[in-house]
Amino acid sequence: MTASTLPHADAALQARLAAIVGERRVLVRAGELRTYESDGLPGYHARPSIGVFPGTRDETIAVVRLLAELGMPFVPRGAGTGLSGGALAEGVVLLGLHRLTRIISIDAEDQRALVEPGVVNAALSRAAAPFGLHYAPDPSSQTACTIGGNVAENAGGPHCLKYGVTLNHVLALTALLPNGDVVTLGNADGECEGYDLLGAFIGSEGCFGVALDVTVRLARNPQAVRTLLADFSSLDAAAHAVSAIVAAGIVPAAMEMMDGPTIQAVEASIYAAGYPVDAAAILLIELDGAAAGIDADADRVAAFCREAGARGVRTASDPAERARLWQGRKKAFGAMGRISPHLVVQDAVVPRTKLPAMLAEIARVAAEYRVKVCNVFHAGDGNLHPNIGYDATSPDESARVHAAMAAIMQACVAAGGTITGEHGVGIDKLPYMDSLFSPATLGAMCALRDVFDPARRANPGKVVPMHSCREWHAAPSARS
Amino acid sequence: MARGTVGALVSVHAASEIATVLADRVRSARAAGTPLRIVGGGHWLDAGRPCRALETISLAEDAGIVEYEPGDLTLTARAGTTLADLARITRAEGQWLPLDPFGSATGTLGATVATGSAGPLASAFGTPRDQVLGCEIVTGTADVVRAGGRVVKNVAGYDLTRLNVGAWGTLGVLTEISVRLRALPEMDRTFAVEVSAADGWTWLRASEFTPMAAELMSPALGALLAVGDAAVLLVRLGGNEALVRGAVESLAALGPMREVPASMWEALAAAEPPGSAVVRLSTAPSRTAALWERASAIVERARGSAHATLTRGVVRCILPVSGDGDEEHARLRGMVGALQNLGTAIVERLPASLWPAIVAPAAVDPLSVRVRNAFDPDRILNPGILGEPA
Ligand SMILES: Cc1cc2nc3c(=O)[nH]c(=O)nc-3n(C[C@H](O)[C@H](O)[C@H](O)COP(=O)(O)OP(=O)(O)OC[C@H]3O[C@@H](n4cnc5c(N)ncnc54)[C@H](O)[C@@H]3O)c2cc1C
Repeated sequence: MTASTLPHADAALQARLAAIVGERRVLVRAGELRTYESDGLPGYHARPSIGVFPGTRDETIAVVRLLAELGMPFVPRGAGTGLSGGALAEGVVLLGLHRLTRIISIDAEDQRALVEPGVVNAALSRAAAPFGLHYAPDPSSQTACTIGGNVAENAGGPHCLKYGVTLNHVLALTALLPNGDVVTLGNADGECEGYDLLGAFIGSEGCFGVALDVTVRLARNPQAVRTLLADFSSLDAAAHAVSAIVAAGIVPAAMEMMDGPTIQAVEASIYAAGYPVDAAAILLIELDGAAAGIDADADRVAAFCREAGARGVRTASDPAERARLWQGRKKAFGAMGRISPHLVVQDAVVPRTKLPAMLAEIARVAAEYRVKVCNVFHAGDGNLHPNIGYDATSPDESARVHAAMAAIMQACVAAGGTITGEHGVGIDKLPYMDSLFSPATLGAMCALRDVFDPARRANPGKVVPMHSCREWHAAPSARS
Repeated sequence: MARGTVGALVSVHAASEIATVLADRVRSARAAGTPLRIVGGGHWLDAGRPCRALETISLAEDAGIVEYEPGDLTLTARAGTTLADLARITRAEGQWLPLDPFGSATGTLGATVATGSAGPLASAFGTPRDQVLGCEIVTGTADVVRAGGRVVKNVAGYDLTRLNVGAWGTLGVLTEISVRLRALPEMDRTFAVEVSAADGWTWLRASEFTPMAAELMSPALGALLAVGDAAVLLVRLGGNEALVRGAVESLAALGPMREVPASMWEALAAAEPPGSAVVRLSTAPSRTAALWERASAIVERARGSAHATLTRGVVRCILPVSGDGDEEHARLRGMVGALQNLGTAIVERLPASLWPAIVAPAAVDPLSVRVRNAFDPDRILNPGILGEPA
């Protein structure tokens, strides 16, 4: 919807929303809504009909109840750093949650925190730091993205290799269902019996309702950390080093790969980390845990890298160097964004033994379609992030980029992988859902969604292709 | 490498042959209104759960590895594969599925996942919820659903995998399961330390060492396993030589300690007398020591035993049952009731006749009922097994 003035009905809505959250917290003008037209993936734009930004839990509940009363669809939004177009609200109400930033409690003894959904990921770790604790899932966007967005996407991050993803760190949450009901999922104080509704809600991409508060586990800061930088003269050698380390059973806290073009982009930016600019690939490998034994593991990791052909392996000598090495990795996406006006990024995961072959395939596809791919990804998990920078105003280049992306995705699925490891389906990966799941499986997903949101008003049109959402029970024979 | 014992690698879409046959079975059961009991190794049949079924579907025969590429540290197996077979096959590659539910290792992977069962190793490796990557399910609507995948990270679509883990087969019959594996640690040593629950927790909370398991055992259990007659913390340490040596030194400061054979864990898993009533209590970890003291008093009066996964806040209480008489049942009701009063309580086993009177049904909140309606609208699969009314 592109109209810059609101139709009449929306003016009434505006007034009713303003009565709940205050006039300043309801946005209707095109200029004001521009920020909310896209998420972290700049290729998609969609204008919400109206933006509403509650400041408290009660306001949020009142807003959702009003929308339920009016039967209006809405899209929850955190910081808008998502990489699948998940927070786009095309012609519907955008419900911004980033003002709900209260860290309600930190329980150092039981190592957990209760937070509102708008709390920024890194802010939680900062607040936990005085207790020697941190929140382990660390998406590279952690200085901006919110816990609510993390829960909705089941976000990962470099350190999820050892510590697990969001799912493994949420003990309980309060969900505000699209019909306005408030329910507790999970149990912060013990085990749960019955269906794992908490597990079902995590990763539901805003389609099951709004996470109103979240109880997360906090991790103890490790006693010792070793951060290694290994540099390689071929991508293949780096990929083989990853496979060797995984197969040997060493579980680094993180194991990230960056290829030559990515390294060059980072080194040309303000985030320059001192990576070797002539390397074809680097691995950033971190080990953590008790001081006892950590050097033995670090030595083994370094040996695996050298055996695979690393030109050199160096260890960060102090926390400042370690932070610098990580900053380059975490800001790599931003650094690449500086070079090209538009950027697409994928998130496929392949079995880890397939990494070398898949990186070769990506290079082949890039050559075939004459596009420039940068690879920066969670290598230890087999979670690829091929990025392609391009100019979307060129129809020819856009077509080649999208064809290349489709080819890469198909190769990953054919290798036994999946289409998204942490960014979610949103709208960006909708076209690939049919290649991964059977009609019966997609139908089952729709049935699950209908449990939480039978009216399908929360984040409509995302995750599962519309055509899969036929009646689940109606015609069993037609579904086989 | 052990692979392909069942057949060629199936495509991500294709339903396995057995699932297709099962779907037909479920479809006709649905049409005929014949509720089915889903059985793996059969170890839960005597748990007393009030399942109302007219026919049984056994998955025990549907066993074997579908795909195992050791370098991926993932494995896909048919649901009837036993944990013992999985352990044998993965050990040959220096790997394991660190999942050690109580009971016999002849239990099946399918039942372990369906019941969400875990043991002491959950302390470090989590429960089936954390280890299952995907599964094939035949739903109560006779659809074959292939949820999740075989890779270690996956957020494609809504999480039907988590939904079925711990659902006791009431949403679908699990026919195939993919799990994450780990490399066997370089060293794997177990120590018995005499320590109180409170001191044990304090060490675990603050120590830089993360044991693979740390299970506190009541004096009765310690005596049964011949590790002593005081409360004993069984600690399983894994890692390289230097790490384990460091952890051993740190542990030794806690109390009298001695190394025990790893077989101790199997002995613990098999320790409960057949026919016992088992109640699992849980709380926040910092409150486990207090819960332990109170539960221990009740368990001792019942001449039972208990063990606790301190980092998870779980206290598992084992109450012997002698006979079937009214008096014995009244006694049990009193004991179980007293345990339930201590907080979150999950009943694992109980004489069948006592179940409805004592155990609150699970999955009866409105959302869970809607889940059940979506996937098993006619209550064909294991009806009543969650204690839910007809
Ligand atoms: C540079 C960069 C690096 C990134 N690196 C990573 C990474 O390493 N790992 C990773 O997993 N992701 C990464 N991401 C993706 C993104 O940051 C994550 O998906 C993050 O979890 C999104 O959080 P957000 O608050 O920005 O959510 P948004 O983008 O605002 O929303 C994302 C989805 O969550 C829903 N949502 C938001 N809040 C709520 C709520 N309270 N209740 C219900 N639904 C809600 C929205 O409807 C939408 O579907 C990266 C992004 C960027 C730009």
